[in-house]
Amino acid sequence: MRRITIPRREVVGWAVAAFAAAVIPFTIPVVAKMTPPSTNHIVEIQNFVFSPATLKVKVGDRITWINKDIVPHTATAHDKSWDTGNLKPNDRGTVTVTKDMFAGYFCRFHPSMKAKIDVQ
Amino acid sequence: MMKIRNLIAITGIALMASITGAQANDPAKLNDLQIAHVAYTADNIDIRYAHLALAISTNPKIHEFARTMIRDHTAVNEQALALLKKLKANPQDNILSKQLTANSHKLVDKMSKLRGKAFDRFYAKNELGYHKAVNNLVANAFIPNIENAEVKSLFKAGLKIFKVHEHHAAMMVKGLK
Ligand SMILES: [Cu+2]
Repeated sequence: MRRITIPRREVVGWAVAAFAAAVIPFTIPVVAKMTPPSTNHIVEIQNFVFSPATLKVKVGDRITWINKDIVPHTATAHDKSWDTGNLKPNDRGTVTVTKDMFAGYFCRFHPSMKAKIDVQ
Repeated sequence: MMKIRNLIAITGIALMASITGAQANDPAKLNDLQIAHVAYTADNIDIRYAHLALAISTNPKIHEFARTMIRDHTAVNEQALALLKKLKANPQDNILSKQLTANSHKLVDKMSKLRGKAFDRFYAKNELGYHKAVNNLVANAFIPNIENAEVKSLFKAGLKIFKVHEHHAAMMVKGLK
């Protein structure tokens, strides 16, 4: 029979978590003051149109694309640096906004579908 | 003028024109189940052309377009079949479906013998002409005559998709000049 051992890394992990749990309540108010809360944005894809066509976001926000058409689409940066992947009908794909995120995007399957995000 | 004649020869618009009019096989006189069969046939023909393009062409833009045709026409066909199942109906074969299929066999034979740019140009032009012709048929002969509301709304959605394909094909034709 094999002995069940708790890996050392896990023990350390617990210790860190316990420490964090003790400290975090005191640090949250400070953190909240420094970074405004992130927002979840929705972009709908319907009738081969992204709406809104221009979405204003800030770093750390999340953007979710929802495909309301009966055919698959994607939301893909023009330089291909980010991509939701294949969004089947009613699928959602989410991307988190980064500082130097490429703004213009299109649908890889239907290149005439274009829109952009405006990182503030 | 020559260009238009070529387009007609390639796509079989002439076929559409010859059966429009006050004949027994007027597309405007087909019932909903016959119309559904024509649409299903037309979708499958375009999927067949796309598989041929993937097998013969080496142009990445042609491949992207062909994969979109397979993806979208398959999705529309799945919706159509689901709707017919719900309505407990079967599509009905008819003269227009048969003519479309016969015409596509000729085109597949012709395209199979082409290679390189000659194939790419022919395929792109044919896609443009084919979507134009089918869109015309759907907009002018089918949608105004479909009786079932759900079938009609699926055809309206389909038409929007195929208009995007038509535009995409036009861009592809331009890019191959
Ligand atoms: Cu798309």
